[in-house]
Amino acid sequence: MTTRPLALTLFLAALMPAQAALAELRVVTTTSDLAAIAKAVGGDRVEVTALSLHTQDPHFVDARPHLTLALARADLLLQVGLELEVGWLPTLQTGSRNARIQRGAPGHLDCSQLVARLEVPTGRVDRSMGDVHPGGSPHYLMDPRRAEKVAAGVAERMAKLDAGLAAHYRAGAARFAKALRSARGGWEKRLAKLRGKPVIAYHRSFAYLADWLGLRVVAHVEPKPGVSPNPRHIAHVLMLTRSQGVRAILQESYYPANASRALAERSSAQLVIIPGGPDMRRGESYLDFVAALVGRLETLP
Amino acid sequence: MASLMPAVVAGAQQPPAQAPPAVQQAPAVAAPVEEVPAAPEPAAVPELSAGDEAALREALAADADADPAPEPPPIATAPAPGPAPIRSAPSLNPDISLIADFALAAFSDVDRSRQSGAHDPVANGFNLQQLELSVGAAVDPYFRFDANLVFGLFGVEIEEAYATTLGLPHRLQLRAGQFLTRFGRRNPTHPHTWYFVDQPFALGRVFGAEGARGLGAELSWLSSLPWYLELVTSTQMAAGEASARSFYGGSDPGVRGPLDLQQLLAIKQFFPLGDDWSLSWGISGAFGPNGSGRGNRSEIFGSDLYLKWRPISRQSVQVVSLHTEWFYRRRQVPEAVLQDVDSFSEVFWRFTQRWAVAARHDYGSPIWDSELARQPDELDPDWTDHRHRFAANVTFWPTEFSRLRLQPSIDLPLWQDDPIYAVFLAFEVVTGAHGSHPF
Repeated sequence: MTTRPLALTLFLAALMPAQAALAELRVVTTTSDLAAIAKAVGGDRVEVTALSLHTQDPHFVDARPHLTLALARADLLLQVGLELEVGWLPTLQTGSRNARIQRGAPGHLDCSQLVARLEVPTGRVDRSMGDVHPGGSPHYLMDPRRAEKVAAGVAERMAKLDAGLAAHYRAGAARFAKALRSARGGWEKRLAKLRGKPVIAYHRSFAYLADWLGLRVVAHVEPKPGVSPNPRHIAHVLMLTRSQGVRAILQESYYPANASRALAERSSAQLVIIPGGPDMRRGESYLDFVAALVGRLETLP
Repeated sequence: MASLMPAVVAGAQQPPAQAPPAVQQAPAVAAPVEEVPAAPEPAAVPELSAGDEAALREALAADADADPAPEPPPIATAPAPGPAPIRSAPSLNPDISLIADFALAAFSDVDRSRQSGAHDPVANGFNLQQLELSVGAAVDPYFRFDANLVFGLFGVEIEEAYATTLGLPHRLQLRAGQFLTRFGRRNPTHPHTWYFVDQPFALGRVFGAEGARGLGAELSWLSSLPWYLELVTSTQMAAGEASARSFYGGSDPGVRGPLDLQQLLAIKQFFPLGDDWSLSWGISGAFGPNGSGRGNRSEIFGSDLYLKWRPISRQSVQVVSLHTEWFYRRRQVPEAVLQDVDSFSEVFWRFTQRWAVAARHDYGSPIWDSELARQPDELDPDWTDHRHRFAANVTFWPTEFSRLRLQPSIDLPLWQDDPIYAVFLAFEVVTGAHGSHPF
């Protein structure tokens, strides 16, 4: 007789982890920085998958079919937006057959809606200007102030999708904001020496970092966004680097570095290669990412 | 809101702007953003030494992109402070893009050239391969709609126009309309996604100049297995000289029952072999009636393999891929069963951001009966022996929206005394908002 309640208990115990797993919100993000933010907000109550690595140029991700598998199960898709993922995400979204994460559904969040955008063209744009983003620059997660806004927006969306844990998500965002603010004070102090200083950027992706730290981006190694550097333009940038006393050439790790390196060698500017985002596999958080970025900028004279 | 749609559409939704766009800050949401002064104009700067210049050229070559310098471009600036732009309401226009493919072609014997693709260059001199207008948009929360209208110099063709469901339960998806059959890997794609200027002749021989396509409906299912496995089945009209030549082709006796339609069954699998390698493998079968006599049927089986190396775990612009497809066709004709084998194999290497080389081998067998004796074929009366074609290709992309390709080839139909040599110089431009491509 005693075996029956035991069996029942065991049966229920066996069910418990499954129920816990069901309670998890499955979040898919397009980039690793968004993934780190989602993880900071949701903690152990969310399962987060990033569709690209931090070493990958997010403009040119292959729509590898296995990525649809994560999307097919997802409750929430977070994307950077502003046409950053336009070349690959729509195919995966349609292929996922998941109504929850389609554009317009509650499980789809374009995080660019949550931040003040920079470099928004006001007139007619066309591609003679290079690979322009008509809605503004999508590289806003290099600014921790904007990351804080994104975290708050993500928490609200998670709360909407999983109302039972609304307080948990909001608390996660608040904790993230608090940690970020307290770290930011130190970061800004350490980098105060760069305020107003001229820098060169490889791609047009540093508007938000410059906005945060008060850097002055005076030129880009790419003659136009997405157009590879050519000798005449590089010569021009080199002359500018010398004449303006440029301190740094900034670029993400996924761009070719030889042109920037050559510029650095021929001027007083230092090449600063910035990670494309936190390394999720090594468990890096968004704060780790910004700390690494700050650490690299701090080495500038 | 600024748009990258072609002017004809963009003009409808925003006033014409003469001045070059000022880059401004648009506070979509209030945030503590500090303004940054605009970058000063570059001051007069000293000349570079010859040594510096040579070294810079070398560095650029190492970044894989030394090219003739265009006019000195304007230096992009940091955001200029100014009033927030007035943005128009978000647009409900679909994404629209126009793609043009032109080719300059030279054949050693143009009268005997055997280009079988509808968009292949076929004449000596200049060719318009196609002008493709692609339109795509969500219809409502349940469907999206995509269309590809192809313009030639003297007409328009509805290459594709289909609706796709976005959220059927159980990972099912339906497509309905006019669409390219998902047989193999190449058939459902458009010329601007091909490395080569022309279509492998296997597709032209087996399906027709346009590849397999037609009006119909498709159901696909994404399995819940731990790896990517998709099952596809479709039913389409079996008539069409250029799109179903192994079925009813040019003859159209009409549809009297389901067996008068062509059916597709396909399995698509994908294996990510680590971060940098991808492997996809598909098996397809197409079945339908043919026009050789009442009750006679055709069966086409195919397998496609695609292996791609693209390092994403470190900085690299290189891509190497191998793509091969094989087709086996069986047709019942009066008093015989005809069979043949066709294939193509391509290797592609993008070695810098802007340059790539590729090579392709096409093969088509003679027609055999069930005893492997050679038989004549009404569809291709002179195709009595093996045929090989070899093509090489060099591609240069000024940007991702334009490319220039040089493609020499040698065609060896063994029933002919002389090979056919051909050279294509093809130019392609892509404008507007073009949708994302499948892997």
